[in-house]
Amino acid sequence: MDLGTRKILDRSFTAVGITSILLMAAALLVVIVPIFSGGIGAIFFKGTIEHRKLQYNEFGNGDKEVMQRQIEETNAYRSRVFAMLGEFDAELESMEPAESKALRSSYKKVREALAHLFGPLPGDPEPILTRYQYGTTRWEQAEEALHDLMYVSKWDYSDPTQMAKQYFVPRTDDFKGTKLAALFPYMEENLVNMMLPEQTFYWGFITDRSLDSHIFGGIWAEIQGTFFLAVGAMLFAFPLGVTAAIYFTEYAKDNIFTSILRSANSTLAGVPSIVFGLFGLAFFINTIKVSESKSVIAGSLTLAIMILPTIIRAAEEAILAVPKTYKEASLSLGSTKWRTIVTVILPAALPGIITGGIISLGRAAGETAPIIFTAAVSVGATIGLADVFSSPTPALSWNIYNLASEHEAANEIRHVQYGMVLALISIVLLLNLSAILLRARISKKLKG
Amino acid sequence: MAEAPLNSPQKPDAFVMTPERLRRQRIAKFLGEGFLLVVASFVAIVVLFIFYFVAVDAIPFFQQRGFGEFFTSTGWYPADEPGEFGALAIMYGSGMVTIGSALIAVPLGIAAAICLSDVLPFAVRQYAKPVIEMLAAIPSVAYGFFALVIFAPLLQNYGGPLLMWTWWLIAGPFVFLAVIVVSDLVTSGSQSTDTRKTIRWTVTVVFGVIALFFLYYVGRTLNEIQILSGTNALNVSLILSFMALPTIVSVSEDSLQAVGRELREGSYALGATRAETIVKTVLPAASSGILAAVILGIMRAIGETMVVWMASGNSSHIPEPWFNYLDSIRTLTATIAGDMGEADQVTGSARYHVLFAMGLLLLIISFVSNLVSERIVVRQRKVLAGE
Repeated sequence: MDLGTRKILDRSFTAVGITSILLMAAALLVVIVPIFSGGIGAIFFKGTIEHRKLQYNEFGNGDKEVMQRQIEETNAYRSRVFAMLGEFDAELESMEPAESKALRSSYKKVREALAHLFGPLPGDPEPILTRYQYGTTRWEQAEEALHDLMYVSKWDYSDPTQMAKQYFVPRTDDFKGTKLAALFPYMEENLVNMMLPEQTFYWGFITDRSLDSHIFGGIWAEIQGTFFLAVGAMLFAFPLGVTAAIYFTEYAKDNIFTSILRSANSTLAGVPSIVFGLFGLAFFINTIKVSESKSVIAGSLTLAIMILPTIIRAAEEAILAVPKTYKEASLSLGSTKWRTIVTVILPAALPGIITGGIISLGRAAGETAPIIFTAAVSVGATIGLADVFSSPTPALSWNIYNLASEHEAANEIRHVQYGMVLALISIVLLLNLSAILLRARISKKLKG
Repeated sequence: MAEAPLNSPQKPDAFVMTPERLRRQRIAKFLGEGFLLVVASFVAIVVLFIFYFVAVDAIPFFQQRGFGEFFTSTGWYPADEPGEFGALAIMYGSGMVTIGSALIAVPLGIAAAICLSDVLPFAVRQYAKPVIEMLAAIPSVAYGFFALVIFAPLLQNYGGPLLMWTWWLIAGPFVFLAVIVVSDLVTSGSQSTDTRKTIRWTVTVVFGVIALFFLYYVGRTLNEIQILSGTNALNVSLILSFMALPTIVSVSEDSLQAVGRELREGSYALGATRAETIVKTVLPAASSGILAAVILGIMRAIGETMVVWMASGNSSHIPEPWFNYLDSIRTLTATIAGDMGEADQVTGSARYHVLFAMGLLLLIISFVSNLVSERIVVRQRKVLAGE
């Protein structure tokens, strides 16, 4: 080959390497940026009057007088709508049966959309579920509801080679010449006055309980559950892991027994997380019965087993990184081996050990598969510290799955899902970031 | 450490070793080391327990139904009476996403590892490492959420153009590089410099035009593809490759670092470029370590639950044709996670035990590949140490 070609190959080789690193960074951004921007929307959004009503009634937040005034203001506009509905009802009664039958189904849709916007309409029975007691609390949902009201969606199947296309027909066409025709332009013009959107900073998303399985309210129960599970796992795994690491670094002889133990450690690190879940179910719950059924303690024990190898490895590395001179100095002063370990080696290795612990804590907080069968429930209230031995808990990781794929209204509570993912990622990344910073400080210190 | 006050009152016999004291110290040492040993063996005991308890619940399934159906049938109807428990399609799905993610993650990961260990200056490397760590730290359910809520609709609505752009961006540069190399190889003869230059330009242009047509044709074909469902094997493979990347990069980087400077310097001294040094000298020396990295990375993809559960479509069939990555699939892990909710009620049934059988299968696969990768790493260390 020519020298020129070889040079080109060399350059492109470098380019491929750098591109692959940039691609990894891009992958990270592509995953994180939409989650961050979506997650912010759970806390910072345009809230309607219904949001303030809900906040005041259910959580006691907000200024009552301002709210009362705003409710009156909106009711002034809404009453026109209700009046039109009443007039149309009367008109519908007086129509020919065939004529009114044609209008009824479309009219039902109108009423549904309005009830979705404003909460129960006058004449409707008082709903039991919280989700029907209030209208749309978020402005962008109100706009969607308005679109549903204004247009009928239809599908175009005319071209058999293409997928069906959706198109919209104005709903006014159905009601031409009736008293309801005036409703549609009125709604379009006055929606803002009827909903009064305001930029809202809903801090309560993190600290409130959830209402009607996450249709409204916050995610405190999940955050607390995640905290219990992860901290519980650390309580078991951290002391065990550090002790085992001391054995491996200071006491283990280089023989077959030790290498078996080491193999066991890496085997445990490679076990798929769902198998930990199976094991937790078969052993902790069905065999030794730490609890009747799912419980926080069973989940914590399962997670503890899962993070044990990580903690052992990190602690081993941290202990091995302590300069040999420390140990030799201590031994030469006449202290015993154990004393050397406890008073010299462990304090020097502590930051490194804690770094490993923090990373494992993040891993325990983020794992889902081991807690599916051992600790997680979809809907639940916050549990007290005394309940950890008997009752299961909602947890961020599990509820993200549950809300995104199994919730009956998954599409309407995307903001809650994004908020949960953001909360989980923030917890895990903050833990990791602190571990990275801590490690940078240690390496600086060891360099002197 | 607190400094001991110098004038603290010491007992006069503090450093005298009486036989009684020696004996006590020896017992304490024995007990202490015994305790440490027990704690350290805890991990091994746990591994044994996991194997035992998963196997105990898996064996009844094979006793009831035998091996044939589980490994050869593609019918998965656990809810029926008497039910059919053919896991072949499910295993095929697991294999498919694993291979798919390996196809993406292995080249990318090895290229990134080479770049980290041999190309980038130390200062830049400091910034690349946290990126990899963060990629590893993001919880799997967050990746699953991304795959289901953000990526799947994107793939469904803009699948064709997306595939086409990816094809152009990735295949384009490589195809043109191949054109340059091939025309160099074809025209390397003994003609005079001037004629050779002319011939080479002609050949390059001809090949280039052919390559352009090839790229355009494939791109157009890809552009016309309609993806019916965004939750498919391609989506899952891509996301799983993100998750396998950190493992592959960090383990293969370690193994590349372990290849000493001498080999590299020897190669440079013979006049090789950096690319030639790495491809012909460093990579062969580090190959076994990289293999271990690939095995570990693949293990992450096989054992991953949440992403496949949320974004694979969960339909247990072998895609038609067999390599169709745009079809929905179902994997072992997702089946365990998804079916246990219903099966748990009837503990003791084949429906419950079959999930443990799948768990046992996963466990054995992970155990074997771990052992293999460990062996490989140990052997490489020995070879590089010159033993």
